[in-house]
Amino acid sequence: MLLRMLWQSLFEGRRRKALAALTVALSATLVTTLFALSVDVGDKMAREMKSYGSNIRVTPKSETMSLVVGGVDYNPLKDKETLAESDLWKIKDIFWRNNIVGLAPRLTAPVTVQVGGRDGAGKASVIGTYFDQRVPLPDDAQYRTGVRTINPFWEVAGAWPTEPDPDDTAAQVETVLVGAALAERLGVAAGDRLTLAPRGEGVTADPRSVTVSGVLRTGGPEDNAIVAPLALAQALTGLAGRVQAVDVSALTIPENELSSKARRDTGDLTAEQYDSWYCSAYVSSIAHQIEEAIVNAAARPVWQVAAGEGAVIGRIQTLLLVVSLAAVAAAAMGVSALMNTTILERAREIGLMKALGAAGWEIHALFLGEAGLVGLIGGAFGVLCGWGVAQAVGWGVFGSGVDMPLITIPIVLVISVLTVLVGSILPARTITRLHPVEVLHGRA
Amino acid sequence: MAPMDQLAVARTRDAADATPDARREVIGAEGLGRRFGTVEALVDVTFTVRQGDFLAIMGPSGSGKTTLLNILSLLDAPTSGSCRLDGIETATLSEADRVVIRREKVGLVFQTFHLIPYLSAVENVMLAQHYHSIADRDEAFAALERVGMGHRADHLPSQLSGGEQQRVCIARALINAPALILADEPTGNLDADNEARVMDLLDSLRHEGRTIVLVTHNPELGARADSILRLQHGRAV
Ligand SMILES: Nc1ncnc2c1ncn2[C@@H]1O[C@H](COP(=O)(O)OP(=O)(O)O)[C@@H](O)[C@H]1O
Ligand SMILES: [Mg+2]
Repeated sequence: MLLRMLWQSLFEGRRRKALAALTVALSATLVTTLFALSVDVGDKMAREMKSYGSNIRVTPKSETMSLVVGGVDYNPLKDKETLAESDLWKIKDIFWRNNIVGLAPRLTAPVTVQVGGRDGAGKASVIGTYFDQRVPLPDDAQYRTGVRTINPFWEVAGAWPTEPDPDDTAAQVETVLVGAALAERLGVAAGDRLTLAPRGEGVTADPRSVTVSGVLRTGGPEDNAIVAPLALAQALTGLAGRVQAVDVSALTIPENELSSKARRDTGDLTAEQYDSWYCSAYVSSIAHQIEEAIVNAAARPVWQVAAGEGAVIGRIQTLLLVVSLAAVAAAAMGVSALMNTTILERAREIGLMKALGAAGWEIHALFLGEAGLVGLIGGAFGVLCGWGVAQAVGWGVFGSGVDMPLITIPIVLVISVLTVLVGSILPARTITRLHPVEVLHGRA
Repeated sequence: MAPMDQLAVARTRDAADATPDARREVIGAEGLGRRFGTVEALVDVTFTVRQGDFLAIMGPSGSGKTTLLNILSLLDAPTSGSCRLDGIETATLSEADRVVIRREKVGLVFQTFHLIPYLSAVENVMLAQHYHSIADRDEAFAALERVGMGHRADHLPSQLSGGEQQRVCIARALINAPALILADEPTGNLDADNEARVMDLLDSLRHEGRTIVLVTHNPELGARADSILRLQHGRAV
């Protein structure tokens, strides 16, 4: 009976209920949007900021100062000053592997460049790296990474070079990128052929002929170099299977007191502090774990970038939270006003129910049940809209959709229902106070 | 004694006390008074209603008729005096206990019809059953038949005329077989035709042995009653 009443009275005062549902829907839309954005966008935003470069640089521990003048490295490399390329997957195997967005190795080979069909040659460096190289991981044989992931802002006029598959040892590097400044100096464009001869003492590798697939613009030293698949630089230096450094892009949380203490010396931490630091995604603890994973590696955070990122994301999330809370509070107040009018309007009905012997809780159950349903409907509507808005924001700002975790749906519905119920508390007290004699007789 | 115990006692006595001459007392009001601040709405009213009685309470507007009816129906409590309803002393009950006794003992009919607008006629009757015990559609339908409204059982109040709505209210007042039916100017908002139908209905209920207290200021209607209680400025005259 109570349920039937609930159902039938739901359609009473439809306009006001629609208005209440709309109010709730608006706040639910906001909450859903913000929820979806702060869960997915926390990551997305961090990834987006990663486009301004990596935040951890891994080098051999013994690396002596390299002597680089105008993009040309004058300090010939030795084996012990490099890392094994075959160790790189270990960076994606640390405790915080899911926070590693990508990595790109570096190996610089000094060369003399001769442009096909022309006389004369110039000096330059070949920077070998991964563009979008397959790096087989224990749990993901198809994992691909490289500068295209960690430096998405690199611009190429033309095509990216083709990288040989790591399993295909016979494959040769055929294509390279030429930095914009160097391309201008050499007067080359996509499609030109270059002959690259190794330069430097004791290097006996054969010259290599390659095609320029595109011209690269980064705003960094790469603009003055030839950027090629790693295998080419290894061939030109005779350092097969070695890399000089690895740039790692990791998602991190803001630095705090604990992490600064750890930065000074992990020995200063108590065992408990150490555990807590180790299990948090500070840039310093991720760097530390990389050092543990790769023998003889030194991983140094690129501080300015890393610290700033974490702080900005934290601030944005706080902002989202505050706006959500304000929206929910506003909705509760709006519903409260609407509910108040409803109850006053239906005072006769309430008085009649009381006169017929209804217990207070039954009347409360009817009105709160109705309010709850209105909240549920508004909330459901809001989830849909919020999902849409989140997608729109995702596409607008990040150029991709936003993954909304399914848990958002029940959470937002519960928040909506609670909003309405909280908004109904004060009006519902009128029900308790209402005396049937005041409303049932003609006089009132 | 707790009200529910009193109910039980009243029920057992019900069975023992069957002689028609010593008809059971349904209302025993003694020295009832009700004041609202300085307004004495009711002063020292004493009367008895026995089972099967049809009492009319009459008096000019503002004489305290509704105030008295509110006390009899346990919607309000007197500020002085005592009032037994079917053997239970009600003047001192708490509000929660009054609710319990009211839905057990009293059927109410108001001047304005007071039906729940979004429930059909039969559902409005069932609501009273629901608050009393358990809703039973067949029984509710039978009560509507009794007041000649069986054919409109599934209509909403807005689809019924005033007279028809009032008959639904009477069916609702009957449904739980209350010890007492209280009607406050039930025909006050009706035209002559409908007034006649409603009064005939009350008459036939009285002949079935129902106990009825009717408030009216229409002398013609008052004349139909067994006895009349006249009020003037809150006093019985
Ligand atoms: N809740 C109340 N507060 C103050 N005065 C009241 C209240 N109810 C009734 N009265 C007063 O009591 C008197 C009797 O009212 P009422 O019982 O409604 O008269 P009747 O029903 O005979 O017209 C009136 O003077 C009225 O103003
Ligand atoms: Mg009156």
